[in-house]
Amino acid sequence: MAEGKKAKLGGACDAVIIGAGNGGLAAALALAVRGAKPLVLEQHNAPGGFATSFVRGRFEFEAALHELSSIGPENNKGGVRRFLEDEGGVDIDWVPIPEAYRVILTDSGMDARLPFGEAPFIDAIEEKVPGSREPLTRYFALCREVSGALGLLAKTASNPSPKRIMKDLKKFVAESADPFDDARRNASNVVTFLRTLPKTVDEVTLKMGIPPKAVDLLYPYWCYLGIPMSRMNFTIWAAMLIDYIDYGAWIPRLRSQEMSYAIEARVRELGGRVEYNTRVDRVLVERGRVKGVVTASGETIKTSAVIANTSPTQLYGSLVSPASEAPAAALRNVNSRKLGGAGFVVYLGLDASPVELGVNDYGYFISKTMNTDAVYGSMEKLDLVDMQATICLNNAIPDCSPPGTTIISMTTLYKPGVWDAVKPKEYAALKNRLADAMISQFDDALGTDIRSRVEEIEVATPATFARYARSFNGGIYGYELDPWDSIIPRILSEKDESYIKGLEVAGGFATMGHGFSSSLISGRSAGLKTLAGLGG
Amino acid sequence: MSELINFDGLKDMAALLELLPERKKRMKKASAEPQTGDAMAALARALHPELQRLVIADVRQEAAGARVFRLVSDMESGTAAPAVFRAGQYLSLKIDISGVRVARPYSISSSPADAADGGFYEITIRKKDGGFLSEHAWKEWRVGTKIEASGPAGFFCVEPLRDARHIVGLAGGSGITPFRSMLKDIVETGADVKFTLLYGVNRPDEIMFKSDLEAFAAQAPDRINVHFVCCEPDAAWCGPTGFLTADSIRKLAGDPAGKSFFICGPQAMYSFLETELKQFELPKRRVRREVFGETADVSAHPDYPTDAAGKSFSMTVHCGSETTVIPANSSESALVALERAGIAPPSECRSGECGFCASILMNGKVFVIPETDRRRLAAKKFDVFHPCSSYPVTDIEVKVPLDKS
Repeated sequence: MAEGKKAKLGGACDAVIIGAGNGGLAAALALAVRGAKPLVLEQHNAPGGFATSFVRGRFEFEAALHELSSIGPENNKGGVRRFLEDEGGVDIDWVPIPEAYRVILTDSGMDARLPFGEAPFIDAIEEKVPGSREPLTRYFALCREVSGALGLLAKTASNPSPKRIMKDLKKFVAESADPFDDARRNASNVVTFLRTLPKTVDEVTLKMGIPPKAVDLLYPYWCYLGIPMSRMNFTIWAAMLIDYIDYGAWIPRLRSQEMSYAIEARVRELGGRVEYNTRVDRVLVERGRVKGVVTASGETIKTSAVIANTSPTQLYGSLVSPASEAPAAALRNVNSRKLGGAGFVVYLGLDASPVELGVNDYGYFISKTMNTDAVYGSMEKLDLVDMQATICLNNAIPDCSPPGTTIISMTTLYKPGVWDAVKPKEYAALKNRLADAMISQFDDALGTDIRSRVEEIEVATPATFARYARSFNGGIYGYELDPWDSIIPRILSEKDESYIKGLEVAGGFATMGHGFSSSLISGRSAGLKTLAGLGG
Repeated sequence: MSELINFDGLKDMAALLELLPERKKRMKKASAEPQTGDAMAALARALHPELQRLVIADVRQEAAGARVFRLVSDMESGTAAPAVFRAGQYLSLKIDISGVRVARPYSISSSPADAADGGFYEITIRKKDGGFLSEHAWKEWRVGTKIEASGPAGFFCVEPLRDARHIVGLAGGSGITPFRSMLKDIVETGADVKFTLLYGVNRPDEIMFKSDLEAFAAQAPDRINVHFVCCEPDAAWCGPTGFLTADSIRKLAGDPAGKSFFICGPQAMYSFLETELKQFELPKRRVRREVFGETADVSAHPDYPTDAAGKSFSMTVHCGSETTVIPANSSESALVALERAGIAPPSECRSGECGFCASILMNGKVFVIPETDRRRLAAKKFDVFHPCSSYPVTDIEVKVPLDKS
């Protein structure tokens, strides 16, 4: 750049959003539709974070999205669709995923295709495992109560008053003080909600009398949360299961990049600004209040409100400046929580149609077993993981690649730290070895031969996610959702755990947990809180 | 609800009331040390540095009026070692020429082992290839000259999970450079792959790296074969002659079935070979082509709107909070106009492929060569364009991203 001609961002603004990932874009949208003028600063050259795509040869690969929950059809919109379309005015061409999933358990030979909708879902399990219907019906009723109660509380939560939620909860607890008073407990699904709140998924599910083989068919979505069922909080599981089974799952027609570009364009149309190649290196804090941000090129932007679409681990560990402004309580907070899994994805462009390949489903969960502790354990070694979640995009969008071709992407997870010792010179060979093993894992499970039809291959590792999305240590999930760190304890602790005035967190590390839909919802909520702080 | 599930109610309530205290207890017990390190960010930076500060350690003459520039890390400026790369990749060199910062991609002609452990890269530039940068390099670059480069980039690499075990390289002119890297790599790593290189030149004295290539073949005779094919042979020439055609390829490399073809050379060679290779009826996965940089004469493209040819338009450029109006010739990519004005976004491939220069076309029209339009579908829908491969055909208004530096 010629000397003295460095373009400037302009010295000040109402609210700076660090990162144009799902959380950051949703926050910007929530602010912009209410008349605020957010400035979004993104280090990469396109919006989306993980909500992106890339082109190799004649294929355009989805980078991260398997499916969004909370979208639903036009006549029964889920919360995320209502936010984007009705509130945000963002137009996205949503495509439904045909079926919930196909699960293949290679040790037992179990192979089942499960549809959306409670009745067909239970029918399909009953057909494979007779005797499942009755306990599963009870199980779904239970999940539905929990999910419904969480929905009620989420509505309270959008009017941000943790005090109020606490008060309500205390009231509910008091009213159900007699646990044997069935009439009273029947009166409110909140009681069921409260009773399952401290439970893990296993603690609830394994008491319901569901045959073990049916539990195997019920559990595959666990990998979207990435924590074994012996530790995963039941509340969030129930909410996720009901959301998927009731609303189905959806993807944008032009990959998740369509969603991120659509939100970005809408934010700009509403007067917000989005700047790329602009990494924020510091969040300036003085006496517990946000004062501004400093970009990698050294420009300071004054602001009293920052929404960080990043992990609090990074935020308090390296972004807050001076470091003395990162309170010890905040550092203890982030250090007490467990980082979720880091991503590893093999993207394949194949020169045969799905029918020719024998790959006829959209979403596959291929796993050695459904012992989630064992599978989770296999993520701790730098080797083939026992499970892959694989999608064949053409089975939702037939023309997503040229006629006679197929796009498949295989995803697995590694625990944080597993990749830490990898040296740059070993990197390419390691990627190759693991991708090779995952291709065999797929071909062996399905009896297919996709291996011989590879026209394009790309592999994303934790380092890739760290590079493009700056996710801490390549993580693609936020903090693990143990009962003590699940959504409700987070909501109830929000006030206590708000350490710096004017600073909010959006995205997969925020209150609602990770996943595209959760990140969009948490982004919206961060936008609303920021707006309240601005006096809007 | 007792008819749904049978819990020990009292204990459940107690557990609920303990959730928040448990959370507080865990947080109280945790360390207050900030986590500043991020091993994956460090690995990503090592593999893909945004900028490598290099210095010329050696310049040597190669045949065909080419020079080989050896680049080592410029320790003084903070680059500890050249980043690891895969044979076939390129560096985008960032050069200031009379106050204008330009970027040009050059394939690395040395091998990954050469770069390992604080080693070097070599790039090879022919003067006759012309252009802004090669002339400058020829005049100005000496041992000790500092050069800035991107991290290694590009996808013209042998991929064991995709390519056949037997690869046929088709090189033309200075398109030999990535192949030199690949062959040297095969010798040095003992990779389990066969490589037959067919190197087409106009005249015998245009063969670059002749002795190197012959040496690689001699070192791995069971894996590497090299054939030079000359269009205008002199009296001393005793190898094959003519263009690289379907016939000569079949004769020198054997039955094309089950082999992967890698092509790198001048633009004219691609279109010629495309027709020739059609006769082999190869699946697309068996043919890889290196991107070829900016198109020399865009108006020659059959889809080009002829009334725009030879015109100059105005380009209104929004960058950060500044707006500038600059001239833009229809014969040059929008990136060239931006570079000349000193407001260019970062760029690497100059071929429409990498997306580094992605910008927003707010008003007006550009011509994008369909064959090299590698934009994402959503990018097209939302008027994102790649200035390096887009040519203004009206006055345009654009928003370009800031340079990172």
